[in-house]
Amino acid sequence: MDEFIVEMRHITKRFPGITANDDVSISVKKGEIFALLGENGAGKSTLMSMLFGMYEPDEGEIYIRGKKVNITSPSHATQLNIGMVHQHFKLVENYTITENIILGQEPKARFLGLLPSVDIKGSNKKIAELSKKYGLEVDPTKKIEEINVSTRQRVEILKMLYREAEILIFDEPTAVLTPQEIEFLLEIIRGLRNSGKTVILITHKLEEIKKVADRCAILCRGKLVGVMDVADTSTKTMANMMVGRDVSFTTEKDKPRFGAEVLEVSHLTVKNHDSLPVVKDVSFKVRAGEIFAIAGVSGNGQTEVADAITGLADSCGGSIKLSGRDITKESVRERTLAGISYIPEDRHEVGLVLDFDLAENLALREYFKEPFCRKGILQEAAFEEHGKRLIEEYDIRSGQGTVTSVRSMSGGNQQKAIIAREIELGSELMIFVQPTRGLDIGAIENIHKQIIAQRDEGKAILLVSLELDEIINLADTIGVMYNGEMLNIAPAETLTANQVGEYMMGVKAV
Amino acid sequence: MKKTSSVNPFKRGFAAVLGNEKSQGITIPVFAILLSLVACAIIILALGKNPLTAFTSLLQGSGVLPKVTYAAKKSMFTDFMSMINEFTPMLFAALAVALALKTGLFNIGVSGQMLVAGFIATITVGYSKLPMAAALPLVLIIGIISGAAVGALIGWLKHRFNINEVVTSIMLNYIFEYLISYFINSYYINAISRQSQAISASASLTLANVALGGLKVDIPLGFILTIPVAFLVLFLLNRTRLGYELKVVGLNRRAAKYAGINVGRSLITSMALSGALAGLAGVTLYMGYYTSIQPRVLTSVGFDSIAVCLLGNMHPIGILFSSLLITVISKGGNYMSSIVGVPEEITEMITGLILLFSACGAFIRYRVSITKEEITEEKLRAKSAAAAEGGEKA
Repeated sequence: MDEFIVEMRHITKRFPGITANDDVSISVKKGEIFALLGENGAGKSTLMSMLFGMYEPDEGEIYIRGKKVNITSPSHATQLNIGMVHQHFKLVENYTITENIILGQEPKARFLGLLPSVDIKGSNKKIAELSKKYGLEVDPTKKIEEINVSTRQRVEILKMLYREAEILIFDEPTAVLTPQEIEFLLEIIRGLRNSGKTVILITHKLEEIKKVADRCAILCRGKLVGVMDVADTSTKTMANMMVGRDVSFTTEKDKPRFGAEVLEVSHLTVKNHDSLPVVKDVSFKVRAGEIFAIAGVSGNGQTEVADAITGLADSCGGSIKLSGRDITKESVRERTLAGISYIPEDRHEVGLVLDFDLAENLALREYFKEPFCRKGILQEAAFEEHGKRLIEEYDIRSGQGTVTSVRSMSGGNQQKAIIAREIELGSELMIFVQPTRGLDIGAIENIHKQIIAQRDEGKAILLVSLELDEIINLADTIGVMYNGEMLNIAPAETLTANQVGEYMMGVKAV
Repeated sequence: MKKTSSVNPFKRGFAAVLGNEKSQGITIPVFAILLSLVACAIIILALGKNPLTAFTSLLQGSGVLPKVTYAAKKSMFTDFMSMINEFTPMLFAALAVALALKTGLFNIGVSGQMLVAGFIATITVGYSKLPMAAALPLVLIIGIISGAAVGALIGWLKHRFNINEVVTSIMLNYIFEYLISYFINSYYINAISRQSQAISASASLTLANVALGGLKVDIPLGFILTIPVAFLVLFLLNRTRLGYELKVVGLNRRAAKYAGINVGRSLITSMALSGALAGLAGVTLYMGYYTSIQPRVLTSVGFDSIAVCLLGNMHPIGILFSSLLITVISKGGNYMSSIVGVPEEITEMITGLILLFSACGAFIRYRVSITKEEITEEKLRAKSAAAAEGGEKA
């Protein structure tokens, strides 16, 4: 069996409330490019983190070069010639490329034959040679803060090569790159294989796999669905397997009755902190009684669209109209009062004040109005009463009722509290971003029902989700975002999950 | 099957006394104070003195306990009032720190804000010939406004340029210290005392040497404001819309934005309010406890107040007590050194130790919660062991 350089047998890893890997077995041949494909949260990164020694599996065994090993730490993994490029680079900004690469394994020199020092000059030469050998041209004396993202990635790769890694793990390496840079990276990966390295590529982008990988394992909800030769498998089959055919539990819903246009977004452009456009010229409309879902892989600009509509992010082009009124320049408060409810993606950082109690959080968007506040004085009784009513009506479970510190509540109940609060605002437009992230099946079902109930009451609903199932289940209209652009908008019944999946991977509309 | 407990009874006792999270706000500072007193007692013993006498003399010196003898026209009441005179600025300063901390900001520049308020009030009202009825309210108002202005500047710098308030307030401390020294040395210096010229008696917030029942007493008028202001801060933070907004901004800035709160304005308001309280501290110190300003010196009150605020658990009512305690100790120090024969520095050491231990409050809380967890775990283990045993028998 020694043709396999890596074997992971029956690996199970559990985290509180979730089984990240459930009896997963994979074998990787020496000198191949092996891809791990799966949706967000399918357990790809967890599996590789165990190979790299960041976690230890609860069950199962790992064999490297036919020998059973117990990888306890990343440095142990390095000794076994395993290297990993993380999604978020781990580099010291104000060190040079060479310094970063040799950090931890500095070659020693003796100054004047006496004082020990780090042999920077020799290392620079060595790194230059190494980079030439693998076609990863870098200037070893440049500082990290002076170089761009794709060069930083090359530094990470060189770091592995410097440590003589034979097994190279790439965690979503293309997520941060432009299309041209991706091409270049894939070229590098092929080069690495040709010089005898084994590459494991974690990704959810089918095109990349099709381009470079030899074999591919597909994970879905922690389970291994299949391993196939990429050459004789179509992208479609892979997408099918990745989404998982049999999983979707559908939520009952009636035919939509669309009313007047509530939200009109036209030519919206949003820039991030580095003034790079993350939302590019996006236009769409949401009608009353409609669930408009934005699908897309994480980080393609969906959240920024929602933030721009609610006023949390500044838009730098285009206009946003709510029931015909231009709100592009209005403040968050004005927009809330104009009729926008917002269930943000990040419950803890945006949606709640964790150190406040439940009653205070349930009034977070209305505290300044009667009956919560009269002449600048807060009315505790009103907070209490409002809190009690919402806890009752929305079945929010908490230890001590209205005075429970929200920090101590479960994620599902925190989310219920936010949704209760936002529904109570009675806004015409409700924006849900990833409303079920990290929640269990029961809570998800409850939230889905509430979203549909709001639609049936004639609210316009904008749903942003990374879960394809959720989108297919709930949406009346689906828009897919890729790389900041709205690729395709179509009525939900005209699209299959696979088509949406393909658009999410950047395949253009046919 | 019997295992010895891994949690020793000593720890168990602590967990039982300090474990109640609701009363921890009181029990932990008290525990910190007791710890520091024990530490001081050991030091005083090592100096060959009786710690009990030392501690009693502290209280006597600050007018809490009667001394054996008093000089003419002096009594316990005189000592007490003189302690209160020192207590007043300390309380306002600690409230200034607390208000900022509660709203997520660290005002380490209270001393500088005090100096600015004291100086501006001194040169405007202190050297004027206004009658008392006009001068005193003016002193307070000018103190509050000038303190608030400095605070607002710090808040604005944070909002506009994202400069950390700790940096700006410390740097402003120096700028004000030397700028004001320059003005005092150039225009307002008293050649003999090397301090600024004393302010007119009618502008002083402390009525000095008032004849009262055969005694000569200092009456700090600022004291009248202390308790109402403490309650006002409490009310502002807990019961008003403004307090709610300031707290949300302090706890979670992104949630504040989401709630529709103007984050920048809130930051400026928080620092301005904190500065206003520092301004009150400034005028009660420089135009009450003192009547002049010593150039090139920043008062330590603004720094001690940080620790006093922490000792009082950042709660206005807690701060009333912690400032009282710290003032009693520092005031009684002089008398202690003369009675017990230990150097006066020992009192500063006691204050220092109390503040040091009180700063460890979070650590004590952490240890207690760990011990509590160990105890519950052990109970659980005992329970499951008992259940297993029962099962085996069955």
